[in-house]
Amino acid sequence: MMAMGMVRLRMLFVGLLIGVMAAPALAQPRRGRRGEQPPPTPPSAPAPPAEEEEIEEERWFAVTGGIVHTVSGPVLDGATILCRNGRVFAIGNNLQVPEDAESVDATGLHVYPGLVAVRSSGIHSGSSPEDGTDVYSFNMSLALAAGITTAVSGDVAAKLTYGTLDDMIVRRNLFESLSWSSRDPGGKRRVREGLDRVRQYLRDVAAWEEDKRRNPDAKEPDNKWIRGQYESYLKLLKGDAVAVIDANNAHELLQYCELADTYGIRMVVRGAYEAWAVAPRMSRAGMAAIITPRQRVDEDPQFNRPTGSTIENARILHDHGMRVAVTPVGSLFGPGYSISLGGLAGRDLLHLALEAAFAVRGGLSNDDAVRTVTIDAARILGIDDRVGSIEIGKDADFVITDGDLLHYMTLARWTVVNGRVAYDKEKEGIYSHIRPDGDVNAPPPDDYWPRRLGEDWHKPAPSSGQP
Amino acid sequence: MQSQSCHPSAHPGSAARWCILSLLAAMPFAIPAQAQEISAYRVGKVITMDDRDSVINSAVVLVKDGKIQQVGKASQVNVPDGVQVIEMPQCWLVPGFVELHCHEAGASTDLHDYVYLTNPDLRTLESVNPGTENFKLARAGGVTTALLISGSGTNMSGLGTAVKFGDGLVEDLVVKFPASIKIAQAGNPERYWFRVGRSFMNYNLRQTLQEAKDYDQAWDDFEAGKTEEQPLFSPTFDAFRDLFSGKFIASMHTQQYQVVMMTLMLVHKQFGIKTVLDHSTFDGYKTAPLVIEGQDVITINGPRQLYFDGTQRKIFGNAARWWQGGIPKLGINTDSPVIPQEELSYQAAMACYYGWTTYEAIRGLTRIGAEALQLEDRVGSLKPGMDADFAIWSGDPIDPRSVCWMTVIDGKIVRDAREGMRRF
Repeated sequence: MMAMGMVRLRMLFVGLLIGVMAAPALAQPRRGRRGEQPPPTPPSAPAPPAEEEEIEEERWFAVTGGIVHTVSGPVLDGATILCRNGRVFAIGNNLQVPEDAESVDATGLHVYPGLVAVRSSGIHSGSSPEDGTDVYSFNMSLALAAGITTAVSGDVAAKLTYGTLDDMIVRRNLFESLSWSSRDPGGKRRVREGLDRVRQYLRDVAAWEEDKRRNPDAKEPDNKWIRGQYESYLKLLKGDAVAVIDANNAHELLQYCELADTYGIRMVVRGAYEAWAVAPRMSRAGMAAIITPRQRVDEDPQFNRPTGSTIENARILHDHGMRVAVTPVGSLFGPGYSISLGGLAGRDLLHLALEAAFAVRGGLSNDDAVRTVTIDAARILGIDDRVGSIEIGKDADFVITDGDLLHYMTLARWTVVNGRVAYDKEKEGIYSHIRPDGDVNAPPPDDYWPRRLGEDWHKPAPSSGQP
Repeated sequence: MQSQSCHPSAHPGSAARWCILSLLAAMPFAIPAQAQEISAYRVGKVITMDDRDSVINSAVVLVKDGKIQQVGKASQVNVPDGVQVIEMPQCWLVPGFVELHCHEAGASTDLHDYVYLTNPDLRTLESVNPGTENFKLARAGGVTTALLISGSGTNMSGLGTAVKFGDGLVEDLVVKFPASIKIAQAGNPERYWFRVGRSFMNYNLRQTLQEAKDYDQAWDDFEAGKTEEQPLFSPTFDAFRDLFSGKFIASMHTQQYQVVMMTLMLVHKQFGIKTVLDHSTFDGYKTAPLVIEGQDVITINGPRQLYFDGTQRKIFGNAARWWQGGIPKLGINTDSPVIPQEELSYQAAMACYYGWTTYEAIRGLTRIGAEALQLEDRVGSLKPGMDADFAIWSGDPIDPRSVCWMTVIDGKIVRDAREGMRRF
């Protein structure tokens, strides 16, 4: 929280400076791509703080003409999204785009908020993404091509800031882990004992604070032991953190529900393939779920309760008022939250949106399914103030697609992160040969391969000029 | 239900084979009572996959005695009085999908039998296990017919069985046996315990096929009266006689360019065997000109659907590249359980994501598989007289958002998801 606060403060400060300095600059005509359009009226800004630092130039970015799926609000056909310094500045139909703004023309295309991968590996580097991430990595481009603009790496939500280390971190310390092995019969008891001890400590502190008013010599409860797991319990009990647990079957889920109720802990469950069977209970316990709609676990006849997975899981949880995010199913070549070029396509982060499509098969509406990979995913991570929908003031993260996000032939044309084009299908080239400009019958690229000995090899080179 | 290989005109002397065949022939092939009735399905769209690629909107499909009786516009089909009409006017009715590469119609992990490097006479027929969870989920994915084949752990791993995912006993479900012989040309057999390489595999394959060919020739000569001495019966090589005469296919586990090329040169060209290129992944699509030359070669792509070509730094869709290469017959497989059987249509979705087109992909899921199995007169399209095998979807069957509401096999509803909870 500290770090995030500092980042925020710094950004706010820069923002203020820029807001002020932009005014005189905008008053003069400038050369730009969109020279025919007059600049917008600059926003009113508070008085500038005295500062001698070098002033950064304002960075304007616009997406024009697209079908804008704000996700948190209506679909705006043909609206312009104007962004300043990486944040959405204005959305509307008659916006004037500053002449020096970088812009992409999304006419006929769909604009969605950038997707949020609630779990990932292989995009950023572990738990300190800003220190080791290769911002030019192939995996990052692939994930951007899949529309992902924010991914959880370790316990950090980080942006896919292609080509720059700026503004990568969205939030650290997303979750406290809280779990025990289902094979350890004493596991839950130990967790409960730990929570009891910390809860007693919190009561002691409250009593001490009361006592202190009358008795200046009242002794503060010992807190030296509150480290490690106990520190984590303290955050959870105070409501400063959310617990993430890995639990799948109904029995395990009920155990965690009981814990959540008893101690007032907020929980996010990963896995949860049997959540449909205990959805009302989970909903009462205030749980959110990160699930894989098409996860397949067969019924187990050895139980006298409903067992196994169902494609309707996402829909049932949603109907019970639970927040649901979606993560892909995985394959022989890796878990669903990885990026795999092994070839078993459609089961990793490269097709995150299509995993949400399976939730529609299970009865969720198209719009709600889109939310499982955008705003609801952001809410589960506690970063919905920054990402997950297209709203004024939120980060300028978009995926601009050539069709409905959940359709199986939709590709990203551009992906925008922090108001910068981070992926351009045509320039990047990985997928540029697939349906260029929507043409399903576009000719394939050449092979650079001697198809058969004796064919191409012996063809005389084409003579130049003379017939 | 009559198995194509049940003709008594098959080769005399093949005692072991006769044993199985007479068993199959004697089986009653009971048609469920429900299928005796006439039933009608009123739907929004029928993709017939017939020779004229007819797609009929606002259509009725009339089913009688487990067969399609009529397919046409709702206004033009006369539904007899008293016939129950299943009304699903928003839905699509699509032929049941035909899976050509499945290891799961029997036990759930019936992949590899690493006993001998070459055991072509191993029979998957003996491991068909109806009523498993896989059967139910296959129906949930609109898959009605599958070719159950041996794994690719050994070079020549056995005879495949075409089954339907219907209800009933094994003999009710088997449509054709042998329906294929499984040959693995690289990749998995290289992990065999004494580590065979590709040269050896090609050598082994050539030797085995040559021996089988000699056996076939010796019997042909004897049967034609050219020789007097009856050749010694071989249980291993006997099934190859129907293979050489084109009664069933070789399911060739092939992957890269070199392997696909060797398959085409050796198995198809040299020995004249009806060849289906299973997997045919990585850069195998570069052999498209050879496949076109081979004419009756069928390619079924999967479960790998993408190939990263490092020389061009591009991701190619295997199916799209085969199709762009001009091959006429392209299907899709899951290699279940590598990809769950119910996700066969999602394999097609991936093929389309990476550049193929929807209608061709539906054809690849239905008719192409039926043609490869030489069962195109029974399954894979919807015409009068064909088996009533189809699924009713909420929309485009390739779209993962679409629900397979109902699956019908031999006129019998084997899945009805309109009530209760759906696993898939």
